[in-house]
Amino acid sequence: MIRLSLLQFRIQAITAAVTLAAFTILLAATGPHLASTYAADGLGSCHGSSCLSPATYFTASLARSPYGPLFLLSTGIILLAPAVIGLFWGAPLIARELETGTATLAWNQSVTRTRWLAVKLAIGGLTAMAVTEALSLMQTWWAVPISQAVADGSGAGVAQSRFSQLNFATHGITPIGYAAFAFALGVTAGALIRRTLPAMAVTLAVFAALQVAMPLWVRPNLAPPDHVAIAVTGQGDFSPAPTGPGGSTFTLLAVTIPGRPGAWLLSSGPVNAAGQPVSTTPAACTSVGNTGQSSAQGNGFQAGQGPAAFLDCLGRHGIREALTYQPASRYWRFQATETAIYLALALALAGYGFRRLGRLS
Amino acid sequence: MSAVIETSNLGRQYRRTWALRDCTLAIPEGHVVGLVGPNGAGKTTLLRLATGMLAPTRGTITVLGQRPAAGPAQLARVGFVAQDTAVYARLTVADHLRLGAWLNPGWDDDLARQRIGQLALDPKQRAGSLSGGQRAQLALTLAMAKRPELLILDEPVASLDPLARREFLQGLMEAVADQRLSVVLSSHLVADLERVCDYLVVLVASRVRVAGEVGGLLATHHRLSGPRRDPGSLPAGQEVITESHTDKQSNLLVRTGGPVLDPAWAVTPVSLEDLVLAYMSRAGDETPARRQHLGVAS
Repeated sequence: MIRLSLLQFRIQAITAAVTLAAFTILLAATGPHLASTYAADGLGSCHGSSCLSPATYFTASLARSPYGPLFLLSTGIILLAPAVIGLFWGAPLIARELETGTATLAWNQSVTRTRWLAVKLAIGGLTAMAVTEALSLMQTWWAVPISQAVADGSGAGVAQSRFSQLNFATHGITPIGYAAFAFALGVTAGALIRRTLPAMAVTLAVFAALQVAMPLWVRPNLAPPDHVAIAVTGQGDFSPAPTGPGGSTFTLLAVTIPGRPGAWLLSSGPVNAAGQPVSTTPAACTSVGNTGQSSAQGNGFQAGQGPAAFLDCLGRHGIREALTYQPASRYWRFQATETAIYLALALALAGYGFRRLGRLS
Repeated sequence: MSAVIETSNLGRQYRRTWALRDCTLAIPEGHVVGLVGPNGAGKTTLLRLATGMLAPTRGTITVLGQRPAAGPAQLARVGFVAQDTAVYARLTVADHLRLGAWLNPGWDDDLARQRIGQLALDPKQRAGSLSGGQRAQLALTLAMAKRPELLILDEPVASLDPLARREFLQGLMEAVADQRLSVVLSSHLVADLERVCDYLVVLVASRVRVAGEVGGLLATHHRLSGPRRDPGSLPAGQEVITESHTDKQSNLLVRTGGPVLDPAWAVTPVSLEDLVLAYMSRAGDETPARRQHLGVAS
């Protein structure tokens, strides 16, 4: 049965091999130059705080070089790989055999259909996981200068921390979970619907929905987030905006968490000295650095004075910024938990597929 | 004599409709059995239940004394050629022989190669580009070379042209002659069955109307024609299968173990086709006692 599965799998195997080869060539050809750019920007020899400026320059300049788009392209391929595998490997695996009637041929050889499915699932599933993770590891290696610069300085454009949506889903071990899940989803959808094209459509819809729901609603809650309140000053990394008539109210978002590099900022908002959320601008601050215009016309601050004076004023009037975040140290815990969730879903789907198999004909 | 297929009150329901219902039969071993009946009689459902492709909704079925498709050993004992004779379109003829060898411990590679050679199939040709007849022959080769004890064929020739049909059945006959093999073959074309079968089961609406060895059936059925008379006045032991009357004449098809002695009748033999048609057109509301009588003599 293993040999038959391999024989049937050869088109997919060739496709996977060609994709991997093209991906390898692309990254191997550009990776060394990206690393040398990193060194040329002075990042190879800097220490501690002296790295901040070259790192920020390096990440900001990515957008003007081919490496920014290349990073996005390779990230996109890794994100799409599980979906493509679910659609083109998973969905037809059983559905095509049911459609063409070859399932009857296969099930009348001296091999039980449980073994038939087990072998097909194992070969397809393991290959799916290996191929996706191989793509991910190669791109992680290629992007080491970028992630190093982000760790040394700050993120800009495509260069973001590893907790960012794109990086979390394409680095580490999560691609293994996605690939296993998408493949099992396709197989089971095919077994239930018994026709390849509708099974592909359902696979795509369910997988896409889960890939959107996961980072938005599930991942932030995999562990209870940490809270911290920080001082609001003109030197801080904030994004303030006066709102309401005459700037009577305001919003204030934190951009980074000082002293906690790589943390995943979930939400932020201004609070008063008692820790209550506030949105009313202290009377003394309404005219500080403020044009009086609503934020719809620009950010509402006068040229030259900027938001720094406004932020200082808020700080003087007892306003602090409350942050909710996941610390950087939880990265691998989150990776493991999310991967385990997807693997468990994949196993549950496969188990359901086995249960359904007895009723197929 | 033991049964290759034995069912008891077997039923299979698809959503709300019953494809097969209360089917009780026993097909003896060592025959080439023709399973014949009109469309919708439940032939395909019965055969798919026998191969384990379907699970029964009700009742029981045993094949060669075991539950169908109970495990690898049982699967190895039964060969099946489905109605559509599906093969893997992208794999070559040689690939099919390889997969047969991989998946069947009892695979007879010499037999498979010999058959492919006789059929003049190119081993390197993709199965998807074979003609319907060649595809059916390839499917039959696969089913045969696993050396089953029972070979089940579901309307294998229904979609073939007359020449391909003849060749397929001829190949089947030769193979059966060489191997010790029971065969169950379904068709709604009696002419096909007449050529190959030595045992006949007529299935109408899940019920066995008549079953028995072809020779015996032909010997015990007669067409009687003579002056008009009431069939009720026939001697005991002469069972009327069909009757038609004109003002002056009666035409009867009767089943009887003994000779027809009444000199008023002109007695002519019946063909297998007449016999099958007679049983298929006969009213289906038999009493349970009568059904018992018509049950398979095994």
